Amino acid sequence: MVSSAFLWVALALGAGCGSVMRFLLDGAVSRALPSALPVGTMAVNLTGCLALGIIDGAAVPRDVAFVFGTGVIGAYTTFSTWMFETQRLAEERQVARASQNVLLSILLGVAVGAAGLWIGGRL
Amino acid sequence: MIDDCLKVTSYFGERLRLGRRFYSDVLLDTFEEHDVSTSILLRATGGFGLRHRLRTDQTLTMSEDPSVMAIAVDTPARMNLVLPRLAELQPRGMVTVERARVIRDDVTASPAAYEHHVETQLTIYVGRGERTSRVPIHLALCDRLQQAGVSGASVLVGVDGTDHGERQRARFWDRNLDVPSMVLAVGPSDRMAGVLPELGSMLRRPMVTVERVRVCKRDGDLLAIPDRLPDVDDEGLGLWQKLMIYTSESHLHDGEPVHRALARRLRETSAAGVTALRGVWGFHGDHPAHGDRLTQVGRRVPVVTIVVDSPSRIAASFEVIDELTSEHGLVTSEMVPAMQYFQAGETSRGGFRLAHHRF
Repeated sequence: MVSSAFLWVALALGAGCGSVMRFLLDGAVSRALPSALPVGTMAVNLTGCLALGIIDGAAVPRDVAFVFGTGVIGAYTTFSTWMFETQRLAEERQVARASQNVLLSILLGVAVGAAGLWIGGRL
Repeated sequence: MIDDCLKVTSYFGERLRLGRRFYSDVLLDTFEEHDVSTSILLRATGGFGLRHRLRTDQTLTMSEDPSVMAIAVDTPARMNLVLPRLAELQPRGMVTVERARVIRDDVTASPAAYEHHVETQLTIYVGRGERTSRVPIHLALCDRLQQAGVSGASVLVGVDGTDHGERQRARFWDRNLDVPSMVLAVGPSDRMAGVLPELGSMLRRPMVTVERVRVCKRDGDLLAIPDRLPDVDDEGLGLWQKLMIYTSESHLHDGEPVHRALARRLRETSAAGVTALRGVWGFHGDHPAHGDRLTQVGRRVPVVTIVVDSPSRIAASFEVIDELTSEHGLVTSEMVPAMQYFQAGETSRGGFRLAHHRF
């Protein structure tokens, strides 16, 4: 049994890595594919869904799932940014894109999560 | 009192550092040390520079490092002391130097400032919290300017600066009443000259600059194309050109705010740089003045997009701008007699010697 103090530290470090990864990937995608849709955040959330699906599907040890699922992916993916950017599209009267941002993220997110589970189950 | 003055504008990214400090702080300290009469630091909503690195507040991550713009105005003698210092300090970005006339304290003697100009850009520097007859000064100025029939005005709020040589920096726990803001107005010179004395009487300590501009487009109508200037003057000094596009957050082109479309489309070309600044209040033409309200989703504030480039490239940028402002917006063009680019590890291009060209 890994001591819980070690786990908390691992969780904090994992979450730190997750947020740095989000910042870097979001920036890289947003610069590479300049689009009126916030594609950087979408890329982050979808890859996060996939990774969480894999972790869950692979039935890894509980402590590993805790650090990588709750810590890394929890900090990596972002609900608040998704909503913030949807609101920004709405205040710029880009209602169609705001709706697309919500609907596409949900539909693709569920699909990618399911795919992750399937991949994880075969590992 | 009317004087010749130099207007120095520095464009860079907010997170640009010099040693352990933000360059914006170093720059404004420099203005303060040199007792620069008027300066203002503005944060942009979007843009890109020579490296075409996109900066925008559309997404959270991209808004970490917005473009900023610092303007300083004073006599040529004083600015000629500041400029060499700036050339030593500025690590990246771009600096332009423009000629203007400044009207300080007494505005009654203004008309001479307008000689030969058909159209004029007035910049009125005021404190954020300044009022006249209990009305916020920027509302009163816009009202009066619109009554006088000028083409448009936009109010931009600064976060740092100097006012009559005194440093006024915005702070979190402060009402920031004396932090500078500016009202940018464009219109026919005779109307500007007519209304200026009255505007002056509304101001606590008048500080107004007058610049020559050409109005190229208004509400979709093409009035003139930007003057065709040579890339260098008779002495071989570089000439540059600046286009300013005044739109509103509510002006859309193909479902996208015009200023976003401008930054995106111009970034696909070889344009040297674009900066878009969001104002808080403004008007253009006969349309009622607009700003944000507390209960609303869609924003209604004005946005000013600035494009500076060489004369040979500005024509291509204007084609894009012309297309995107097919229904809305006011577009002006002016000459920039000196500009310098700064890039880390590379020799800078351009210079601060002012070119001469009559047109």
